[in-house]
Amino acid sequence: MSTAVQEKETILNFLDGDFGTVSNIPAIAGLNEKGAGNISEFPFPTKKDEDWRFTDLRSISRNHFVPVSEAGANPVGDISEYYLPEATNSRLVFVNGEFNPELSSTSDIPKNVVVGNMAAYSDHEILETHLGKYTNYDDDRDVFAALNDANFKDGTFIYVPKETKVEAPIHVLNVFTDAEKAFYTTPRVLFVGEAYSKATIVEEHVALTQNEYLNVTVNEFKLFEGAHVHHARIQRDSKKANHISRPIAHLDKYAEYHSYTICLGAKLFRNDPRVVQNDEEVDFTIDGLVLIDGDQIADTHSAIDHRHWHAKSHQLHKVVVNDEAHSIFNGKIFVREDSQKIDSFQENRNLLLSVDGTVHTKPQLEIFSDDVLCSHGATIGHLNEDEVFYLHSRGLTKKKARELLVYAFTLESIETMEVESVHKLLLDEVVKYTSRDEEFVAVGK
Amino acid sequence: MLEIKNLHACVEGEDEQILKGVNLTINKGEIHAIMGPNGSGKSTLAKVVSGHPEYEITEGEIIFEGEDITELDADERAHLGLFLAFQYPIEVPGITNRTLLRESYNTIARENGREELDPLEFDDYLKERLEVIDMKDEFLERSINTGFSGGEKKKNEVFQMAVLNPKLAFMDETDSGLDIDALKVVSDGINKIAGPENAIVLITHYQRLLNYITPDHVHVMMNGRIVKSAGKELALELEDQGYEQLEKEFSVNGEAQ
Repeated sequence: MSTAVQEKETILNFLDGDFGTVSNIPAIAGLNEKGAGNISEFPFPTKKDEDWRFTDLRSISRNHFVPVSEAGANPVGDISEYYLPEATNSRLVFVNGEFNPELSSTSDIPKNVVVGNMAAYSDHEILETHLGKYTNYDDDRDVFAALNDANFKDGTFIYVPKETKVEAPIHVLNVFTDAEKAFYTTPRVLFVGEAYSKATIVEEHVALTQNEYLNVTVNEFKLFEGAHVHHARIQRDSKKANHISRPIAHLDKYAEYHSYTICLGAKLFRNDPRVVQNDEEVDFTIDGLVLIDGDQIADTHSAIDHRHWHAKSHQLHKVVVNDEAHSIFNGKIFVREDSQKIDSFQENRNLLLSVDGTVHTKPQLEIFSDDVLCSHGATIGHLNEDEVFYLHSRGLTKKKARELLVYAFTLESIETMEVESVHKLLLDEVVKYTSRDEEFVAVGK
Repeated sequence: MLEIKNLHACVEGEDEQILKGVNLTINKGEIHAIMGPNGSGKSTLAKVVSGHPEYEITEGEIIFEGEDITELDADERAHLGLFLAFQYPIEVPGITNRTLLRESYNTIARENGREELDPLEFDDYLKERLEVIDMKDEFLERSINTGFSGGEKKKNEVFQMAVLNPKLAFMDETDSGLDIDALKVVSDGINKIAGPENAIVLITHYQRLLNYITPDHVHVMMNGRIVKSAGKELALELEDQGYEQLEKEFSVNGEAQ
């Protein structure tokens, strides 16, 4: 008898690339080498993997992606409509993953602060010390973080020194142009906030046309003692794009990190946010708002790791699903042994506007200490028929009633946006999302 | 103003008739009270007239200002000037009273070729109308009925009516569950709104609301029909005798008709 060993597929089956060359920046070169090794070794996930059970990856595995340089991508035109008025001179623009100095402007950034691309700060001590030190996705043999490691040659580098506040929000704008071939790109962000520094970051991904691409991002945020960060993440990728996102934050004592991920675009969005508590008395948020329709898939697998005393964590994940769209939520919350006095809140609320939409939700709490307050909940429901009729009877059309109710559902998430123009942009997106004409499903309580 | 002729209705998809031939005529400037025991069809009548999708009209018609509105959607009926004060006002978290009322007021104005009010004008108008129910400005900023007490919810229905200024309002048990103070505020509000150009239908179990609001006509509903109509003295009579006498009388006649 002979047993056939089936060769496992790797991500290299679905993309072209020369991962033998490494960056000439030492901090990046090491990661390129490590990543190149990992992508040829880590198996591409299948539905047999617990973390990928519900996630349809065929939009990647039935496609073939080339490096941007070989994709025949259009040059970028005027993209000023995507600029934030508050960040006129605190903006970094990356086009298909490549830094664009002409469209970027950082003149409002204080002199002692770094907001720029990594290649321009190749010998910066902070970059060398911190880049690649915080991701732990390799522990899960994560092929996407490995691809980012292997491929990135540049990225966003933000460093806010001790007791410095950056007044203007920092807008990291990733735009994607049309191309002849489907391409892959690997944006990378390193943020280091020293003790008692403060900054607001708006990280945005926006497609100029509805083309196919694979956008694999890794963000590393390191917050030293008492550092405060407000991090808005707006994902408006092409509805044919795949966006795989790995944002991780490490928090020292008294640090506050509040992140809000808004998912509007992408055929497939997979987001694995992680927060690691390095010391006592931290306060953090990893909220999410998902508005999807058509055949979109939005999947959030989060992990919050409480390792010390006195943490306050908040995760409100709100989802609206229309048509045949599919939302997946898996929220892991760990409370390690001896990390007492933890106050952790998690809620996943799903609103289904269609009969064909699908929602999978799984709160996953692993608590190994006894003096903790962990509340969690998950709900799935349609619009409430009584609410619709109440508004309808006051003269509002059913469409307007739906728009108001979806708006009300999302408002709690949108109101957390500190930057006024982002707030406005999201309200417009909700109106766009709800102002379609077709019927919707509403049921009684 | 409103003419209901031989109205039959059931819950959508079910056979059992709840309204079994209601006839009712309401003229401008009138206040009507519809009374009757539980399950007699009073609330159903209000919902059917306002266009609730849960009910299906199987026979008869509803004529409002000369137009047959039987087939119209609830919003279209509201545009014509119909209003339903809900027995159980719905909580809508996240939408403020102000947002709903502005959307509602301007939609109705637009549909009737009247000028819409801009936010500042509308605010002034709202503040003036708040006096009708003796509520403070903060009331406008609260999410619709969310976390309101029973009395506040009923006041909010009267407030919405004061703002939207309907031609005809059905008030479904707006008095139930109110303490004496709230009952006075609510009935004062209704009295302020009532005028020669509009009409109000009060649906109630009890006569106590009618101590504060004097109806021109009182109807008794039983088993899906209006079985008796008279002036305001009928309410007092019912208070004295209850519905039993009428039930005896009409269970026989009712079935025979």
